[in-house]
Amino acid sequence: MRPSSRSCGTSARKNMTLRLSHLTKSFSGQTALQDVDLSVAYGEVHALVGQNGSGKSTLIKVLSGYHQPDPGATAELDGRPFQLGSAHAATAAGLRFVHQDLALVLQLSILDNVMLGRPYPVGLAGRIQWRAARARVRGYLSQVGVTADPRLPVGSLSLTERSAVAIARAISDTGHGRLLLVLDEPTAALPSDDVGRLLSAISRLRADGHGVLLVSHHLDEVLDIADQITVLRDGRVAASVPRGEVDRHRLAELIVGHAVQDHHASARGAGNGHQPVLRVQGLQGGRIRELDFDIHPGEILGVAGIGGSGRESVAALLTGGLQHEGTVEVGGTALRPGQPHRVHAAGAVGVPGERARFGVFPNLGVRANMTISFLERNRRWGRIDRHRERAEVADWIARLGIVTAGPDAPIQTLSGGNQQKVLVARALRMRPKLLILDDPTQGIDIGARAQIHQVIEDCAADGIAILLISTDSDELARLSDRVLILSAGRLARTLLRGPALTAKLIDISQLETQPEPALAVATGAEGET
Amino acid sequence: MNATTAPPVEQASPAARARTFRLPGLRRFSAVYLWAIFLILFGWLQFHLFFTVSTFQVVFSQSAVTAVLALAFLMPLTADTYDLSIGEMMSLTIVVINWLTLHTRLPIGAIALLTVLMCAVIGAISGFVVVKLRVNSLIATLGMSEVLSSVQLYISQDHQVAGSFSNLFVDVGNNKVLGIPYLDLYMIVIALVLWFVLEQTPLGRRMFAVGGNRDAARLAGISADRIIWGSLIASAAIASLAGVMYTAQVGAYTSDIGQGYLFPALAAVFFGASQLSQRPNVWGTLIAYFALAFGIQGLTLQFGAGAFWVSPLFQGVALICAVAIASSRGALGGGGDSRAIRRLLRSRVSAPTTSEQS
Repeated sequence: MRPSSRSCGTSARKNMTLRLSHLTKSFSGQTALQDVDLSVAYGEVHALVGQNGSGKSTLIKVLSGYHQPDPGATAELDGRPFQLGSAHAATAAGLRFVHQDLALVLQLSILDNVMLGRPYPVGLAGRIQWRAARARVRGYLSQVGVTADPRLPVGSLSLTERSAVAIARAISDTGHGRLLLVLDEPTAALPSDDVGRLLSAISRLRADGHGVLLVSHHLDEVLDIADQITVLRDGRVAASVPRGEVDRHRLAELIVGHAVQDHHASARGAGNGHQPVLRVQGLQGGRIRELDFDIHPGEILGVAGIGGSGRESVAALLTGGLQHEGTVEVGGTALRPGQPHRVHAAGAVGVPGERARFGVFPNLGVRANMTISFLERNRRWGRIDRHRERAEVADWIARLGIVTAGPDAPIQTLSGGNQQKVLVARALRMRPKLLILDDPTQGIDIGARAQIHQVIEDCAADGIAILLISTDSDELARLSDRVLILSAGRLARTLLRGPALTAKLIDISQLETQPEPALAVATGAEGET
Repeated sequence: MNATTAPPVEQASPAARARTFRLPGLRRFSAVYLWAIFLILFGWLQFHLFFTVSTFQVVFSQSAVTAVLALAFLMPLTADTYDLSIGEMMSLTIVVINWLTLHTRLPIGAIALLTVLMCAVIGAISGFVVVKLRVNSLIATLGMSEVLSSVQLYISQDHQVAGSFSNLFVDVGNNKVLGIPYLDLYMIVIALVLWFVLEQTPLGRRMFAVGGNRDAARLAGISADRIIWGSLIASAAIASLAGVMYTAQVGAYTSDIGQGYLFPALAAVFFGASQLSQRPNVWGTLIAYFALAFGIQGLTLQFGAGAFWVSPLFQGVALICAVAIASSRGALGGGGDSRAIRRLLRSRVSAPTTSEQS
């Protein structure tokens, strides 16, 4: 690794707009950001890149006032210091944010969306001067290269146009000549052919003299548009370099770093001789365009991919949360789309990804949360035998090391990791043939993570086929027999278990298999298996 | 909470205890306390009028019908679905029974059974609208309620309909055993059945799961649609039973019955949802209902016979307070339509802690 301290100041950078220094943020003992310095100039696109968990989102949230930084951080815009951790101060200083979900109201027109929360131009008796408002909005839209009629509902626009409208709204909030725009992964949800249009809108903003801080996973677009690239790794600035000085491969290396340990776990004897438990052919739906794969008993199949690659749709498609097309066979039974209870009957059980949204029943206790999928086991004379149920739940609590006040504690009193273990127990007690795990250790502490990994390995040893969909490359490298790298809704690469299968390789593969036709060939991949 | 440092079982328990068992009794038994306060207050104000056998008999015999109606509302509410048509369902039952006794020679038992079945079918139609047409249950049942009221008007031609009933049927509605009205016994039986279904069977567990998180329930393999559909059929049938009980007790149909009964039922269920297990539940509903009923009785005695305005005022305030208490505590589900009613009645407090860091 090159000396990472070639930091920001490449000579006297012209008029510095945003200057952050000594920014540290820790959550209950865990440091998310450590002594981060960052400067963005007017007329510059500054890219912020890094892996999941590197601190990008924390940085953005501190900037936008959602999180308070630890004491000692300073921030100034245009030479005027402003207080971090206050949304109002950030706005007053001239920072504008476009978050990943855009925060648009689809039913309302473009005009109303842009004017949302701002004063409309009004005439006599408070009547809105629609013509003037339209002209004004049209002006903003033209700045980001959108020609649509402002009266159209935002819902009728393409995803690219929606992103552009969100940006137009951000710059419409005047009172400042020049603004500093923070764009949080604006291209993550866009089809690859449309990315270029959004990028040209961004360069137009730069030409107008605004500063842009662009958060992105897509190295190609970063290399394409950014003037300066700052790499965050483990909460620190790993490097900050002007564009011309890195190529794609080097950038990927900077992002991943060298801190990744190899896990030479002995190859598991994944029973390839058997019939596959899961056979997927021509799967389509959500962000998945086409996907084929098999899983055999006792095998752990990892699935990785950056945001927008289709990784996020796989679990929902297989467990019936989303409608799918194509063939999905579990143990020889073809699954019909969108029917979770049939999926269970076929022997496939999922542990949903977003715990709070798709997993936990907040009104029930630990016991009821765990047994809900299969209550019949403890049924006697038509009623649930509580003693038997409690005994079974207590058994699982001991087996998975769930920290809880008891089987009847309200589920909300458990930490995230322990709630996750309850969901894992819910799935395992159904004795599935196939276990579908969607980011099983997301947002949980290291100890619980290791325990869940142990449980996953034990299940595989028992012959359960496991589909492990994860954003955590270290976890994939540690556990998987094979890793499928998805890109643009298709299988881009398959990595096999072996000494070469490391978190670093998985990270690099995800970054390198992005769907830019011109660049797909360009970079020499290292250590592909 | 941190699982890395040993197994800190003691760490988790204070938090759990703090949340469920703080101020023991005061929260989970507030309806009982309220009941006691009413008894003491009105007993003190109106000793000779209030503390009489007749007061208790009046409250208990007048209350059975509404309490059963509250139980009808409770069923779908566990699955976070609202059935506002129960009041009109009950008065439809009353008018149909009265009409059938006048125009057919069927025995009263058969008439009652037919009417309950008819209401169950109507509940199935509401279910179809909610599940298949994806209409918010609040809206669907409110609309159904108007339709039912129009059917009543058509049958009754906006007049009183007084059927002819056998003495046996009247006895069934008005006799007492050991001073306890029969109607209260029916109420207890229905409550026992519902308690068994909701608290003891897999079906009840699934209903609460659907009420708590509909998406999660679907992914956990529960047919949320079927549960919601079924709960609306059940609520219609139980509301119809309340109508049968009313007919046995009072007899004739008058056009002002329906909505007047809906309100106290709602108040009782929402108040009850903050009691005992702190989610919609059978015994909490009954306790809450009788606490409120004694309050109203006391107020009526206090203000005299001319105070017809007391009861709606009290019910309205009670409903709002009950929902405020229940939703501030998350006793109403977080799944689907509860969001709508929360938006209607008050803005949400703070979301439960998500799992940003654990």
